[in-house]
Amino acid sequence: MAKQNIYQQEIENLDQAKKFLQRSDYSKMELQLEFKKLLENYEELIDQVKIITKISDRLQNKLNRTNEKLELTNQKLHDTNIKLNETIDALAEAKIGRKAATIVLFVAILLFIISEAWIEPMIEKAFPNFWVGLGLKLIVAILIKPGEDFTNKYMLKKARKKQLEEANKAEETDVKAGSKKI
Amino acid sequence: MDNLRIEGTKQTPDIEFNASTGILNISGRSIPENTFEFFNPVLTWLDEYAGVAPDKTVINVSLEYFNTSSSKYILEIFKRLKNIMNDGKEVLVKWYYEEDDEEMMETGEDYEDVSGLPFEILELEE
Repeated sequence: MAKQNIYQQEIENLDQAKKFLQRSDYSKMELQLEFKKLLENYEELIDQVKIITKISDRLQNKLNRTNEKLELTNQKLHDTNIKLNETIDALAEAKIGRKAATIVLFVAILLFIISEAWIEPMIEKAFPNFWVGLGLKLIVAILIKPGEDFTNKYMLKKARKKQLEEANKAEETDVKAGSKKI
Repeated sequence: MDNLRIEGTKQTPDIEFNASTGILNISGRSIPENTFEFFNPVLTWLDEYAGVAPDKTVINVSLEYFNTSSSKYILEIFKRLKNIMNDGKEVLVKWYYEEDDEEMMETGEDYEDVSGLPFEILELEE
């Protein structure tokens, strides 16, 4: 029959020795036998403690080393993640940059058409001077680059805000899932 | 006598004890929340097995990690196998450890010293 707990046998041995000690009618021979039994049990217990402690310490070391390896792997993963995020950001910036350039170019073409079709004839009528119309076109041309930068910054800001919102949402979902597990 | 089969989990080892062939397998990780609850049926089975054990018993132990209380129960398993050996039957422990897992190899050597059972300490190939 298996014992009821891990040290049941040892506890039983101890109880037996205590009971024996409470007796007053034991002979020298009985005392010697009981002492021998107790000594043997004690010896076995020491052997067990020695081996279990040794094994336990060794396996604890193994666990510590595995944890250290895990921490290192986590750190590497974290670094790789940062690099990956940087690359993704750079890619996103490039994509947004291209998009902004397309928008600005489209707006510039639109302005050019508007200027050629409506504004310039009106200016020519109001100011019959060649340089006024040209100056206006020059202003539009000069504004293209700052316009592109502004559009780029605006779109980037919007994209980052969206990214942050998504990250917060994911974090909230994780927290909720974690609290459900607990 | 029935064989003993306990499916392994993340915390408990896989146990497959065959009473008729005398081949006992224990593998995996042993960190049960309640070691007594887990190992009690194993020890009970071994107590019963002692009476019907075939001429040769081979126990294959392939553990990745085990906690302190499991180490005591493993010792208890070996003690029961030692009793079977003392009854005149052959018992062999095949202790497997993964490549580079020196701790598990040395643990096997310690069990060999203390149990008085014949051990074969073998490296598992990847």
